[in-house]
Amino acid sequence: MLPFEEQAVADLLEDPNGGLVVVSAGLPLASLAAALLLHLHHQSTSSSPSPSSSGGSGGGGCFLILSAPDALKDQIRRRLVESQLLQVHDVASDVPAANRRALYSSGEGAALFLTARVLAADLLTSHLLPSRVRALLLLAAHRSSDVSADAFIARLLRQHRLLPVYAFSDRPHAMVAGFAKAERTMKSLYIRRLHLWPRFHVLAAADLERSPPEVIDVRVPMTNPMAGIQAAILDAMDACLKELRRTYKVDVEDLTIDKGLFKSFDEIVRRQLDPIWHTLGKKTKQLVADLRTLRKLLDYLGRYDAVTYLKYLDTLRVSEGVRSVWMLAESSHKIFELAKRRVYQVVRPDGTRVSIAKGTPTKKRKVTPSRSKKGKETENEDSASNKDDAQKVNAEASFLLEEVLEEAPKWKVLRELLQEIAEEQRKGDAVVHEDENNECGIVLVACKDERSCLQLQECILRSPHQVMREEWEKYLLGKAELFGLHKKKKKRSQQPKGFGVLDGQFPTGSNENENENAGPVSISKLETNALLAAASGISNLTKEADAKEDPVPSCSKKGSVKGKGKGVQKKITAKRQASKRKNKCTTENDNCQGTDVEASGKTVEQSDINVSKVSAEDAPAPASTPDNAEDLIDPKMLPPVQFYALDSDQHVLDIWKPSVIIVYHPDMTFVREIEVYKAENPSKKLKVYFLFYEESSEVQKFESSIRRENEAFESLIRQKSLMMIPVDQSGRCIGPTPANEPEPLFSQNSLTRKAGGRKATGKDMQVIVDMREFMSSLPNVLHQKGIRIIPVTLEVGDYVLSPLICVERKSIADLYQSFASGRLYNQVEIMIRYYKIPVLLIEFSQDKSFSFQSASEVGDDVSPTNIISKLSLLVLHFPRLRIVWSRSLHATADIFMSLKSNQDEPDENKATRVGVPSEDGVVEDDVRAENYNTSAIEFLRRLPGVTDSNYRAIMDGCNSLAELALLPVERLAELMGSQKGARTLKEFLDAKCPSMIS
Amino acid sequence: ATTTPSQSKNSILVSNRQKGNPLLKHIRNARWTFADIVPDYVIGQSSCALYISLRYHLLHPDYLYYRIRELQKNFKLRVILCHIDIEDVVKPLHEITRTSLLHDCTLLCGWSLEECGRYLETIKVFENKPADSIREHTDNDYLSRFTHALTSIRRVNKTDVITLGSSFGSLSRIMDASMEELARCPGIGERKVKRLHDTFHEPFKRVT
Repeated sequence: MLPFEEQAVADLLEDPNGGLVVVSAGLPLASLAAALLLHLHHQSTSSSPSPSSSGGSGGGGCFLILSAPDALKDQIRRRLVESQLLQVHDVASDVPAANRRALYSSGEGAALFLTARVLAADLLTSHLLPSRVRALLLLAAHRSSDVSADAFIARLLRQHRLLPVYAFSDRPHAMVAGFAKAERTMKSLYIRRLHLWPRFHVLAAADLERSPPEVIDVRVPMTNPMAGIQAAILDAMDACLKELRRTYKVDVEDLTIDKGLFKSFDEIVRRQLDPIWHTLGKKTKQLVADLRTLRKLLDYLGRYDAVTYLKYLDTLRVSEGVRSVWMLAESSHKIFELAKRRVYQVVRPDGTRVSIAKGTPTKKRKVTPSRSKKGKETENEDSASNKDDAQKVNAEASFLLEEVLEEAPKWKVLRELLQEIAEEQRKGDAVVHEDENNECGIVLVACKDERSCLQLQECILRSPHQVMREEWEKYLLGKAELFGLHKKKKKRSQQPKGFGVLDGQFPTGSNENENENAGPVSISKLETNALLAAASGISNLTKEADAKEDPVPSCSKKGSVKGKGKGVQKKITAKRQASKRKNKCTTENDNCQGTDVEASGKTVEQSDINVSKVSAEDAPAPASTPDNAEDLIDPKMLPPVQFYALDSDQHVLDIWKPSVIIVYHPDMTFVREIEVYKAENPSKKLKVYFLFYEESSEVQKFESSIRRENEAFESLIRQKSLMMIPVDQSGRCIGPTPANEPEPLFSQNSLTRKAGGRKATGKDMQVIVDMREFMSSLPNVLHQKGIRIIPVTLEVGDYVLSPLICVERKSIADLYQSFASGRLYNQVEIMIRYYKIPVLLIEFSQDKSFSFQSASEVGDDVSPTNIISKLSLLVLHFPRLRIVWSRSLHATADIFMSLKSNQDEPDENKATRVGVPSEDGVVEDDVRAENYNTSAIEFLRRLPGVTDSNYRAIMDGCNSLAELALLPVERLAELMGSQKGARTLKEFLDAKCPSMIS
Repeated sequence: ATTTPSQSKNSILVSNRQKGNPLLKHIRNARWTFADIVPDYVIGQSSCALYISLRYHLLHPDYLYYRIRELQKNFKLRVILCHIDIEDVVKPLHEITRTSLLHDCTLLCGWSLEECGRYLETIKVFENKPADSIREHTDNDYLSRFTHALTSIRRVNKTDVITLGSSFGSLSRIMDASMEELARCPGIGERKVKRLHDTFHEPFKRVT
């Protein structure tokens, strides 16, 4: 543990109320928490012989740890287990209550990881007595608020006795979101002290900078198209932001491109717009969505390879379609165009590239000289190879696909770096072979996600070009499949034999109406055709390649042998062979099916050579390597490499102990982790490479994430100096002040005559709450208002307010969802059966708008899918159902209290029995059960042909289901008033069950 | 205005009190006509509605109570249609909620006149519509309907459904089966047998 961490723990232990610790992202929260636990444990065990000390809290008791993310949990557990002083248990929510109780009371000091839902219920039911608890730890304090479950738990515990609450957060920017968030959180958790440990704290900085790692900053230039795309995306974002500002609905201050790079930007916008969401036009909503899309695009630009990026754009175009605003803007056109150019180009026979623009074919015709040369050559080769082929083929080939397959510039740099490291290690080995033999170990490559990890691994083990090729082939096959289906559907009538693109045959039908001066539509069609042609070639190859075993090593060998400095010439031959191969596939399959086998045999060989050659050649990298052979690395030459996905959120530095770290996707949190790792192992040599794209949003994002954190800390420091946390005489934290809550309505209305409106103190109000409801904050708020909460498992409803009133609570999202699934109907039906006043509570969220839809969204017609229609239908079918519309949690609690005020208190035992059939199958309290065979009626109504309007007639006409089964169809028709319905029912009843066991 | 009975059956009856309510403009999908009635709207055979806006309620807090009292018990469904036309809703809405709940009325809220009008229209249009669109829907193949029907009986699970189906061959045979026959099926215990048998053989209506 570093000195500053020890200091942090010591500070924290000073106040018996506990404290809130906010650290910079990446600083070791786990080791702080673990150290704190050990300290506390040590205190309590050492003080237990003399019970007079430490305020009677001696004698151990367990430590409750809430809201720990999995990664953090593992780290803390590891540290605690190492120390062997504390038992650690992970109490999942599915652990039976009896086992939980055993854990709570087990011996001296155990650290228990719990979920808030379970803990709240256990405290309320006294499964866990507050006296058994030594301290409460919250590891995600930024998620707490005065209505959150952990605040509820803090209150339940602190009601009975003083025990410390320690809260931690490593998201400073989340701690400053909203008005005086830190202060309010602290009050609700009964915490007085705020401890801030930013990275720039003197002690922390001193510790971390004592022996800093060697850092090498590698700036990789982006390719031109990448830079172009980035500029275009930023343009589009800027345009969206300007548009958004023009609506005057949002605070302009916060809306900058800089902030737009972060996810929290969405939150800022949403927080501002949510309360007025229903008043916003479609366009504004779309703008908000567009900004999110654009941010993703920017992020993926540096992370995805060119082909995947294009694929993502393609799907975007399909899914977003015409709805989005940016899609139609000039800059988005550029994005699509450039993304395509990174992958392929369509070439005309005359050597000019065909740019495919939606509706504007003539617009972009910039021809880069080198590219056009290449095009020409290809074309020449084509005509040469096509000479002996039919004319038709020439027409087909008139638009060719030229693969570009731009590799990510970082790939190359990474490979070079690895080689360099390997070299150094070899030299190092020679020098210090004796003592540092096992230390020169691992190179860690950290990138954002698992996907990039795998891809980079491929890049290094094989050649980057192969990786691109594979992606490209997948892309083409995907396209082919899509169009294959399309075409089959459309063209079946014309070509009854049914050709599939995947069979390697070129769809000639669509080509016949093409000519040189084709309109915009057919140009994109030409492009599609070219893509399909390429796909068909590939699908043939892959089929054949399957037969051949292990082509990969042979490829790379040949490549490395042949790939030595022949320059441009060879590229041409490769291209020629490629095009020849393509033609062969199509033509031979077309004309002479007989020679298919032979031909395929040939193509395999050729393709083998081709692939290898191209891989050695085709990298259009800006910095050309003098020797191509070096491009392929022998895996043995490389140092042991481990890949690590930052998103996986595991802390691997301590486990793998790397000596070199390559940060492929820079990330502030990870940088801190590296610093801590180095500070903890000062003797170890550590070299860190950062790979940045030069002048990219990546750099900008990294820098502004640091800036943002610093600003958050500055704001917290300011807040700390102004904070007012009320305490009582003995220095105890009083907790959330009830004074600022609005007085409940009924007491406002009560007559002054009744002792000045003094609350009736006699009996406690109590509400029975279903266990599952502890996910929501309503039990907490009810408890705040002084209502006794009785958690039980309810079969019917969520809350029982009185013997008569039962409430089913639905948040808005729940409401929509359970209407869709039909669950609401069932729930209401059963509630109506057992309670005199069944209530559906529709609960809106305080910070969202109070409405379903804006007036403009209501539409002109009665649409059965609209929420209005569903509610109307519900009301029509259940006229006894009462609906409560609540603006917020607090409003709900007030309504509950006012509804209860003149009712009896609910009975816990009775409520739990409701809806649960007793031994003989008769359900208690069922208002209908006395007179009706409810189960038979339910069964009857589920039979086909039986409807809401005829089931009563059926019941009148026959005595029981057994009787119904024997009725002839004529009699049924009489009862049901419909021949068709009767037939449906009869057929269903008598249908032979398919033999289901076989 | 006088109305013929057939007209009054197919259209929403609007009380003369509601004359001049801009809400009427938004009833377009159902016919409506003025009539001499107690509630503000009669939307069907047994359903009626009272209209109130929160703004009005703030001015006349007792109005709603008196209107409800006038209604007496002539309607099965009594809707309070509340137009939310102010910002600070919590207190007035609380009062309206309480009043409607304690006097057996169903509260529906609309945030615009369009929405309020749409509720009236929809309740009229859907007057005789089955609840299918908000109920659990099952697939239409035989097996899922068969399962759907049988699992309505408590504690009957999918395995039991398959057992029953293959032992008896058809649903009508199952419904007519005797206790012993049911008991012979593997996995179906004593209690389940009784529950099944009761469901099928007990009369729909118990004679008391």
